[in-house]
Amino acid sequence: MTLLAQLLLNALCNAATYSLLAIGFGLFYRSLRFFNIGFGAVYVVTSYAVITASQALGLPLFVSIPSGLIFAGLVSVLMDKLIFHPLDKHGSSSGVLLVASLGIYIAIINLIALIFGNEIKILSKGMEPSYSLGSLIITRIQIIQILVGWLTTILFWLAIRKNTLIKAIWAMGKVPELIRALGLPYNQMRAIVFFLSALFAGLASIATSFDVGFDPHVGMGALLTGAVAVIVGGVDIYWGWICGASLIAFLQAIGVWLFSAKWNELITFALLIITLLLRPHGIFSQKRRAEEK
Amino acid sequence: MNYILHLIIIIGIYLILTLSLNLVVGFGGLLSLCHAVFYGIGAYATTLLMLKAGFGFVTSVISAVLITGTFSLAIGVPALRFRGDPFVLVTLGFQTIIFTIMYNWIGLTRGPYGIPGIPRPSIAGYQITTLPEYLFLTYIFLVMVAIIIVVIYKSPFGMALKALRDDEMAAEGLGKSPFYFFLAAFVIAGMIASIAGSLYATYVTYIDPTSFTLDESIFLLVILLVGGAGNLKGPIVGTIFMILLPEALRFLGLPDTVAPNVRQILYGLVIVILMFFRPQGIAGEFKLK
Repeated sequence: MTLLAQLLLNALCNAATYSLLAIGFGLFYRSLRFFNIGFGAVYVVTSYAVITASQALGLPLFVSIPSGLIFAGLVSVLMDKLIFHPLDKHGSSSGVLLVASLGIYIAIINLIALIFGNEIKILSKGMEPSYSLGSLIITRIQIIQILVGWLTTILFWLAIRKNTLIKAIWAMGKVPELIRALGLPYNQMRAIVFFLSALFAGLASIATSFDVGFDPHVGMGALLTGAVAVIVGGVDIYWGWICGASLIAFLQAIGVWLFSAKWNELITFALLIITLLLRPHGIFSQKRRAEEK
Repeated sequence: MNYILHLIIIIGIYLILTLSLNLVVGFGGLLSLCHAVFYGIGAYATTLLMLKAGFGFVTSVISAVLITGTFSLAIGVPALRFRGDPFVLVTLGFQTIIFTIMYNWIGLTRGPYGIPGIPRPSIAGYQITTLPEYLFLTYIFLVMVAIIIVVIYKSPFGMALKALRDDEMAAEGLGKSPFYFFLAAFVIAGMIASIAGSLYATYVTYIDPTSFTLDESIFLLVILLVGGAGNLKGPIVGTIFMILLPEALRFLGLPDTVAPNVRQILYGLVIVILMFFRPQGIAGEFKLK
């Protein structure tokens, strides 16, 4: 039983990180309606930017983490400005955008592998301090994961409700034509979507990199976790994304308890396929009238 | 010389894979990300039937085709309820699930340890061992597959697939069921990919799951996106270009530690540039929707 409790505690930490991935992915998937694989590349870029700033340049973490996040944000915005936005203007379909994002993902990941090598790197130095909660153990980085993940989730939810610009970004996915018609700055809003989504991916990336390390190929897994969480929870429902992310984390914990960690990916994708088959618009979607769809 | 023969054999095996994937991507307009799974099931089924059940090469290939057909039917039925992004995700999901099983079901596949010592093919008592013999065998299979594929491409079935790809609702109005047509294309493509798996396993004589990863499925899709899909030329141009590009880079004198990454960076950039200027690929007919 202690093992299960420990696994569930770990799941709570993972759920926090997965939620960040889900918000990052959901933000552009909902607002711009295309599946951007480049998100996986931005995830990887952050950790490499932070490790370069902190270990190669010797900057303290409170400087290297924000600079890593900003760098990733700029890479993400640049990707949009140079590739996705021009393609969009050109009238390209979502399939073309998906494939172009796959191309840029492959290019960036291999550029990183070329510069830094393929081996696993870790951001933290030495052993992580850990604390006991009765028979359970929690490390310092896990506490940070929970705090950062859940606080960011709540803050962004408040932003969607209170901040006019974020509200407009949230509305963008439903009726993109309306944004220009209302005279809102579409181009800037697009840039904000890409920047914010990179920040969320970056936070998740850093939190994971301190804990279990990273290599150039971890981006695809992160992208897919975010994507599965958003689709399972329902593309239009913010708390659906978070529930989707938490569901993946807890199912994986139960999977580890019953079988072994090696079946985790199978559990994630089985969840995706079953949800799509039973509730194609997500677990938390509501029935809508035909004209609302 | 052996090196050139080896390259020609690999091109032959990949042509079988891309010509079959073309049925789904180029003719159906569906971006499938699980083709490597069918390639892998074909390879494992052939290997296990030859090693464990003592089947001959030809019977193993035929049984592997039927086994893979069953799997592609089981994957196609749920996947083809979707179009667009969900279809891509569901096929990607099946790719990951079956790869995880191949990797972790050690009792059956030996997982990451792989299966060595796969016997070379023997047909009607004639043992195939040398490279020229293997090349001959591969291209006999390729010609057979190409004939089947060309017949399908030009048949009313192929035309109906194209019609469904270009305008699903209009074609459905003419009485063409998208589900059954796409499902037939998906299953046939899977079965043909299985043949490539059988040839690969008996050629290399060792298989492990890392040859059938998501990256391999992406690579097959990239060949079609670069070469073009929806006709016969596209997959051929794409396969030759993508298999020979790394060899060309080798002649430029890039060190071996750098070459694989440089190659992948080039693939990535070529795809992005093609999406801007030629979304139908170098010699293709079908533009992505």
